[in-house]
Amino acid sequence: MSTTHTTEVINPSVHNDLADLKPEISDLGLRRPDHSKNVIIDWMTTVDHKKIGLMYGAMALFFLLVGGFEALVIRTQLMVPENDLISAQRYNQLFTMHGTTMIFLAIMPLNAAFFNFLVPLQIGARDVAFPRINAFSLWAFVAGALVINFGWLLQALEMFGLFTASGATAGMNDFVPAMGWFGYAPITSTEFTGAGTDFWIMGLQILGVASLSASLNFIVTIINMRAPGMKMMRLPVFTWMTLIVSLLIIFAFPAITVALIQLMFDRVFGTNFFSVGGGGQPILWQHLFWIFGHPEVYILVLPAMGIVSEVLPTFARKPLFGYAIVVFSGAVIGFLGFAVWSHHMFTTGLGKIATAAFSLLTMAIAVPTGVKIFNWVGTLWGGQIRFHAPMIFAIGFVWMFMMGGFSGIMHSSAPADAQQQDSYFVIAHFHYVAIGGILLAIVSGIYYWLPKMIGKMWQGNLNIWVGIFTVVGLNITFFPMHFLGLLGQPRRTHTYLSGFGWESYNMVCTIGSYILAFGVLLLVVDIVRCFRSKQLAGNDPWDARTLEWATSSPPKVYNFAATPIVNARDGFWADKYGPENRKLGEVDESHGIHMPSQSWMPMIASAGFIPLGLGLSLMQAGVPFMGYVAILGLVIIALGISLWALEGPGGYHLHPKKESN
Amino acid sequence: MSQTESHDDGHHGLMVKNKKLLMWLFLGSDCMFFGTLISTHLIYRKLHPEEFDPTQLFSLELTSFSTFILLMSSFLMALAVSAMHKGEMKSFRRNVIGVIFFGLIFLGCQVYEFAHFMHEGLNLDTGTFGSTFYLMTGTHGVHVAVGVFWLISMLFYSQSGKMEAHKSAIDVEAAGLYWHFVDIVWIVIFTVVYLIEFIA
Amino acid sequence: MSDTKHMSELDVLKTENDRYYAFVNLALILAAVTGIELVLVYLPFPSTLIFTVLISLSLFKFIGVIAWFMHLIYDKLILTMAFGTGMVIAFGTYTALLFLLSGEMVAPQEIPGR
Repeated sequence: MSTTHTTEVINPSVHNDLADLKPEISDLGLRRPDHSKNVIIDWMTTVDHKKIGLMYGAMALFFLLVGGFEALVIRTQLMVPENDLISAQRYNQLFTMHGTTMIFLAIMPLNAAFFNFLVPLQIGARDVAFPRINAFSLWAFVAGALVINFGWLLQALEMFGLFTASGATAGMNDFVPAMGWFGYAPITSTEFTGAGTDFWIMGLQILGVASLSASLNFIVTIINMRAPGMKMMRLPVFTWMTLIVSLLIIFAFPAITVALIQLMFDRVFGTNFFSVGGGGQPILWQHLFWIFGHPEVYILVLPAMGIVSEVLPTFARKPLFGYAIVVFSGAVIGFLGFAVWSHHMFTTGLGKIATAAFSLLTMAIAVPTGVKIFNWVGTLWGGQIRFHAPMIFAIGFVWMFMMGGFSGIMHSSAPADAQQQDSYFVIAHFHYVAIGGILLAIVSGIYYWLPKMIGKMWQGNLNIWVGIFTVVGLNITFFPMHFLGLLGQPRRTHTYLSGFGWESYNMVCTIGSYILAFGVLLLVVDIVRCFRSKQLAGNDPWDARTLEWATSSPPKVYNFAATPIVNARDGFWADKYGPENRKLGEVDESHGIHMPSQSWMPMIASAGFIPLGLGLSLMQAGVPFMGYVAILGLVIIALGISLWALEGPGGYHLHPKKESN
Repeated sequence: MSQTESHDDGHHGLMVKNKKLLMWLFLGSDCMFFGTLISTHLIYRKLHPEEFDPTQLFSLELTSFSTFILLMSSFLMALAVSAMHKGEMKSFRRNVIGVIFFGLIFLGCQVYEFAHFMHEGLNLDTGTFGSTFYLMTGTHGVHVAVGVFWLISMLFYSQSGKMEAHKSAIDVEAAGLYWHFVDIVWIVIFTVVYLIEFIA
Repeated sequence: MSDTKHMSELDVLKTENDRYYAFVNLALILAAVTGIELVLVYLPFPSTLIFTVLISLSLFKFIGVIAWFMHLIYDKLILTMAFGTGMVIAFGTYTALLFLLSGEMVAPQEIPGR
């Protein structure tokens, strides 16, 4: 089977695959919401990985802007010494929410959006292993996002004098989390923080459930649902990274789940896990948090590396240099990531041996990371480079992430870190890897894959300006922070006195942040223009290498009319340009394609998280009867899951017409 | 160009059923979960050994009995799964009832033990020992309770006539894996939380 | 149960019946080991020895249930790897944590009134 490269007009007769199907009755005796004509119901009950991915992406981009706004307020406050734009408490809430939002509500769901959309396509499958669990993860994410941001509403009420806390947190009116995104004990005890901490605890737990269930799904999908001939070592690197990240998630999240439970028990039941008066050790929180937290940062960055590993070969028209070693390095980074957590704690008095051990292991992690960078450079070397938007941002990733890596390796030396810890140097480091690394890679992925997702092509050259403003803005904002850190400016302080030599640096950083914000704004404009574009993308606008480009843009609901048989790595490229024995084959699907049924149950089950999370947190704020609301939440979750089990998986058959692909 | 049938029969590729792989992965994750709880307990026992003397309170006889009960319930569960694979619904039901019964006995012992401890003054907020002990064993107890609930639902489902052995065998196997895991966590807890304290 | 659906009814019956004996034996051994553990803690042997024996017996029970009741020994390696990874990471991380939080590193407990 070979593919032609004509851009297709959407053929109306092919669309009628689904139009003649009637929904069936589930084992519960209710009509399944399949093939609904109502767009809202269709999207709310969907189990289609592509729609789920798009919803994750839309929400994540929204929260990226929210987190960005929070950052702008922070930077504006810090523009001049002794500024009084916002109070100290408000400042604490802003940096807490900025961190929490960016990590859990922006980057992780953006990664999830790509996992969801791409992985089944890249492995030649029709959907994930457990489509309803996939939908459940999405709606649980929505519930968690709601719970963790609910405090803003209460805070607004408090500002207008309409609500004050009583009960367990009486006298403390911080309803938005204000204790840092890592919530160190003992500030998180009821003695020092109000219901904001409870919203944070419950919100993160719910988000944790969402991540865990999605990851279990992806691991099973990647191991079990690959098309014939799609051996593990033929997988696209992005799918490999998804597998590794999912494994990281399922093994790292339990640590924070337990830590959050222990913290909640301390706050609600008066236990002594972190409470010094009863013998608790606040340092235990730090350990448990970072046992999760360090793998978490690799969870954030490995997908970005996966994206770059797809984009660079496509736009250099060369296979990825050292595929096996890139995959292996990713696995090593993931595994070693569990062994370095205390490098966030070098200044806590770990002792000589522990400090040395963690220092060495942290330096060791730089090795596989460096290997990947060399392999990316090797991919570009001797290739036919095409500077389209995805490539520009991917190259930006390689450069900016490397700079973040340099400051990271400086941190790995414990004596140096003793000065850098809790200073702006750390902020410089992680924003280089997070924005310069992760965000640029994600933007690269958006430029690369959005045409596939929506079927429309980018218009014009705005992407160049997006690149210029974001990279210039990023560097102007965060490069001076290295110096600020070395000059001693501490993190998480809402203002500073003049006379330390920090003033001009801070002013420069703030100006840079506005430039960066403008770059992100231009990205939003460009995305909107793409949605309104009249130009169809066609199947394969970039002349790419992997299986997702063998489908239509956007792909049909069933992905592939016939499941491909893969005979080479970069199977689509081999099909286009390779010898006969490496081209794609086709599985005989003449008896019909089996598609999963849609369902209300995942949404119902995850809806229960909202009363559960809000109930417990509001109970801590002294609102009466909220304990019952929490119990109601548990009942709804249990009910949703029971109905889910009882309705049966269902499913229907399709017989797609053969397309002239 | 070979042509293979593409079925949605729950397993592909490596020929391991999806639900089974899912459950094992979940149990691997649960290892970290219980690992955190148990190690928190052990950390605090190592830091503050003089804070509390559990040998005065623990009844090794009772706990050994409940350990034995849980182990036997695991045995019955293995038989239930086996019966399901053979399609013997009656044997399956008998064994599941046995597992539920033993599970309830275990829970009963736990409840009795907790009530006794609280009566003797060991509460959730009694130092670090109370906090870690109750959270750890309580979480385990909740896992057992969820398992019992799951098995009761399965029992009702099997009696509704809608359960077909060859289709539901995988679900029973998944429930079995979960139940056995809860058992092996208890094996660890019994040794490092109860028995260790009694070594002279 | 090995996961091919290509086993005939008779094969399934034979496999399951063979395993029955393994299950019974293991159940009896588990009961016996629990009894031994109960007695062992009261015996006047050096505590290190008892500690080691207890841990070994528990490890045996642990592996016994996983391998036979949970069928891992009869199943594909991928399942052992899935579970084993979790076990290894948990064991490694928490052993390290126990060493990190040993007595000298932590300030003494201050209990008001004592």
